[in-house]
This record gives sequence, C-alpha cells and structure tokens, in this order.
Amino acid sequence: MKWLRSKLGYAGAGLTLALAMLTPFLLMGLFAQGFTRLGLHVDEIYSGGPTVRTIQENGYTIEVHRAVHPHLWQTEKAFVELEWKPVSALPERVTELVDIDGDGQADVRVSFDVPKDAKTPLRVNVEALNPRYEAMRGVGKPKYSELIVRVDDAILVRVPLAKGEAEQK
Amino acid sequence: MAEAACAAMAGKMEPRSWGKAVLLTVPMAVWSVLMAMGGPLRHQDRAVQIASGLTAAFLTGLFLMMMKTASTYRWRRWYFVALGVLFPVGFIHMVMVLRGSMGIPIEEMIAGRTPFCFLPIPLLILPAAFTKTLVFPGSILPGSGMAGGGMAMMVALWLALTLVMGKGWCSYACFFGGIEEGMAAVPKKAQWKKIDPRLRLVPWAVLLAMVLLSLALFEPAYCMWLCPFKAVSEYVAARNMVGLVQNVIFVMLFAALVIVLPILTKKRTQCTFLCPFGAFQSIFNKTSVFDIKIDQTRCSPCVLCQKSCPTMSLSDESIKKGETLLSCMKCGACVDACPKGAAVWHIKGTDVAVKPERARLMFLYAAWAMAAMFGGSIITEGLATILHQVL
Repeated sequence: MKWLRSKLGYAGAGLTLALAMLTPFLLMGLFAQGFTRLGLHVDEIYSGGPTVRTIQENGYTIEVHRAVHPHLWQTEKAFVELEWKPVSALPERVTELVDIDGDGQADVRVSFDVPKDAKTPLRVNVEALNPRYEAMRGVGKPKYSELIVRVDDAILVRVPLAKGEAEQK
Repeated sequence: MAEAACAAMAGKMEPRSWGKAVLLTVPMAVWSVLMAMGGPLRHQDRAVQIASGLTAAFLTGLFLMMMKTASTYRWRRWYFVALGVLFPVGFIHMVMVLRGSMGIPIEEMIAGRTPFCFLPIPLLILPAAFTKTLVFPGSILPGSGMAGGGMAMMVALWLALTLVMGKGWCSYACFFGGIEEGMAAVPKKAQWKKIDPRLRLVPWAVLLAMVLLSLALFEPAYCMWLCPFKAVSEYVAARNMVGLVQNVIFVMLFAALVIVLPILTKKRTQCTFLCPFGAFQSIFNKTSVFDIKIDQTRCSPCVLCQKSCPTMSLSDESIKKGETLLSCMKCGACVDACPKGAAVWHIKGTDVAVKPERARLMFLYAAWAMAAMFGGSIITEGLATILHQVL
C-alpha cells in the first residue's frame, strides 16, 4: 500500500509537470474555450442588455435595448438603454421622440448636444411622455442606470423606469 | 568543499557543482527562450526584443542559482520582486497611453474594457452559478483597448496554474505580492515580532464577507471597496463622494498593508491578513501533489522556520505534526531557513525526507515553467516600457 501511494505520488508529480509544459500550447486554449461554453454573460447593468429594436432615422439609427432590472440588493434602478449611432451622422443637437415599447406611441422625448470633441462631457434631458419612464434633466453619468455617455461611435442614453414599473418585473 | 561538508553534516542538501547545475538548468533555459520567442521576440520593436532577451536570461540565471545552491527562496524572491515592481510600470504606462488616466471611466466599463485580474475570481462564482451572470464590467472574449485577453483567458490561466502549483500561485504568479515581499526584505530584523496568530483567520472572514456581498449587491465587492492594489493599477474614477471614499480606502490599505507593515513585521501582511483570493487559493493546496513537510527526526525545534515564513503558515502545533498550515504558498523560506534540513519539499504519498531534492526539482520545474510563461511576459512588458524611455 505504501509502495502504491508513493508511486501514485510520483505519477501525480509527473502529470503536474506535463500539465505545466502543455499549458501555453494546449491547456489555456482548452480551458478558455470551456469557460466561454458555460454560457455566462456580463451583467446587463454594465453591458446594457440585448438590442430588441432598431429605429431608422436620417443617416443614423437608434437601437432600443431590452429593459434591465437590478438583481437582489443592487443599488441601481431598472433602465432602458437607447443607442444613437454612428455619432458622425448625428446633427449638432439631437431632439428625438422615441417609441421605446414599439406600440406606435412616443414614450420619451430625448434631447442632447453632440459636441465635435469626443472628450466634452455630455448632458441629456429626457421628458417622460409615458409614466413608465422617469424624466431626467441635465444628467451626465452619475449612475449606470441614468446616464449619457459616448462609447466608441455611439451615444448611449439610459432612461430609468418609473418605480412602479420596475417593481412589476 | 567546506561549505558542502557543513551542509551534509547538518542534513541539508549540498551545493551542486557548476557542471551539474548547468545541466539541470538547460531545459529551463530552452523553455525560457521558447516562451520569449512565442511572443515578445517575434515583436519588431527593438526595446521589446531586448526586454524579452533580458527576461529570459534573468529567469534562467535565477534557476541556475537555485540548482547550484539548493536554495529556493532567496533566488525566487528576486524574480518575485521584479514581477511586483515591473507589473505596475507596464500596466500604468499602458493605461495612461490608452486612457490618459488610472481612473476607469464609466464608458470603459460599459464597453467591457475593464482589465480583469485574478483577484475577483472567487467573487464571481456564486452569481455565475445562480444567474449565469458575471458581475464584472469586462469582456469574456479578447477585446480592444484595456479589455486585453478577456475574462476567459485569465480564468483559463488561473485554472492551469492552480492545477500545477496550488497555493504556489501566490509565490510564483501573483503580480501584486512582489511589492510587499520586497518591502519585507528591506529591514534586517522585524520591529514587530509578536503578532496574534488569530489574525491569520481574517482573510477567510474577508473571503466569506466579500463572496456574500458580491452575490447580494451583484458587484465585485472586494474590487469596489478593499483592494489595496487599485493604488498601483487602476481604480473607479471618483465621480462622487462614494468614489472618493473608495479611493482613499485603496490608498490607505496599500500604504499600511503593502508598505509600512511588511517593513515592520518582515511578513507579507496583505497576503496574511487581508487577501481573500489567497484564502480561496489555499483550498487548492489540498489538490496539489506538492507540499512542504517538517521531518520530525531532524527537527530541534528551533522555530526558525516559523520565524522565516512570510505568511505565518507554520504554528507550534503544525510543526509538531510535521506540516505547514493550509495557507502555505510554497515559497521555500522555511526550507532555506532550517539549519537541520528538517523542513523539506515533499510529494504527497511519498515518505517524508526521502529524496526531498527530487520533490523540490519536480516542483520547481513545473512552477518555474509557469513563472517564465506568465510572470516572464509581465516582466518583459515592464522592462520594455522602461527601455522605450531610454533607447
């Protein structure tokens, strides 16, 4: 028994050495593939949720994302992300009636300036035409759930859902 | 000759001849060059080529000295401190070039371009298990900018290195621990010698608290509130009072646990008294085939091993049992410190102190191969950053 345990110990050590040699050529790739196949996704509070509808405008589009609801004790509000792109095709000032839920009625009026310098801070006004959404006045980027930011060639606006609506989920 | 005779009398491994040491180093030299050729040496940039050559020579040289002197800790420490110092050099430079600031703007987090280090790994497990959600603002696959190799690559790397080394990760791969190990090496003697051993349990409490908080709040709580290394990597841009408080905490923890306390205690205090990842990693010492044992037939006990351990992973009870504690990170400090050769490298299942040098060699080949692959690339990047300024 002692002999067997000793042999198994050395076999384990040899295997460990082999694993070390295989790591850069095989193991890392295999493990990374295995991890991606787990079907995990980055929290939508960060990523903004998948696009559900695209509204075509004059030379640019508005992508409407699925509403994101916070988990358990997450400190953010529920929100909907709207994405204007490409930035290069946007007018100097955007004032837009947006139908978020696709029922043919405008839900919010969004307005913001599009400065030429990408580093200039953005501010957004959102007028809620539907009580499901919260209004925002001169908002920059205080929280993940209410903000306007430029990400690459898009301008993202996150409109918080009104409290009652967020709790219905 | 006299050195060899003394070592043999004390039961310690004798220093090898240069010929034998060189022969044992040849495979690692080939591996180091191979790792450098796989990435940086193919690079057209002259600074990167020089840096990768220097790194390969540095790692090979240290391994040669390990083989020659049969000492592990003092040579490994050079590598580890270089890793700890050069990581922030390369990383901060890259962050400043790509973003112009060490603060991560919210846009970058939304774009999934937050670099993912290994520290949040234990915090992601429960939210991922319950909701398939990763509570980190990074990208799973390789991405542009600071997204780097993505979370999948970091997790894969961590898993592979953990299978090979267990908690040895904290001695051969952690690119943060080197700063405090360097600080601990500064004074000749510790000013604070009496440390309550119950403090060893704090990282487990922090781990439990952070794992539960991360699940409840759906955010990487340790990264948001407690990580001292935000001070030398990147931090959430202070947009409001909460952000400001977070950054003050990071800087204070860094100053206390990574700079001041290691100098006063000669211990890796952040690793010993705070790091939840280290506590989590301790579990994998159970799956690793390599460990360190105390040979009871040789032990006096002088407790020099206990004093030398940078993470307080030896207690009176554990020495009596001939074992290290679960938190042992296989740095080899106790083996080097033991004058009787009682602290030995060991392969589980084998008899204690029977061919300990064989166990040491097998562990070191595996661990150093990983160090050359992972740490080597980080050292190269840091060196190349410096060389770019010089050349």
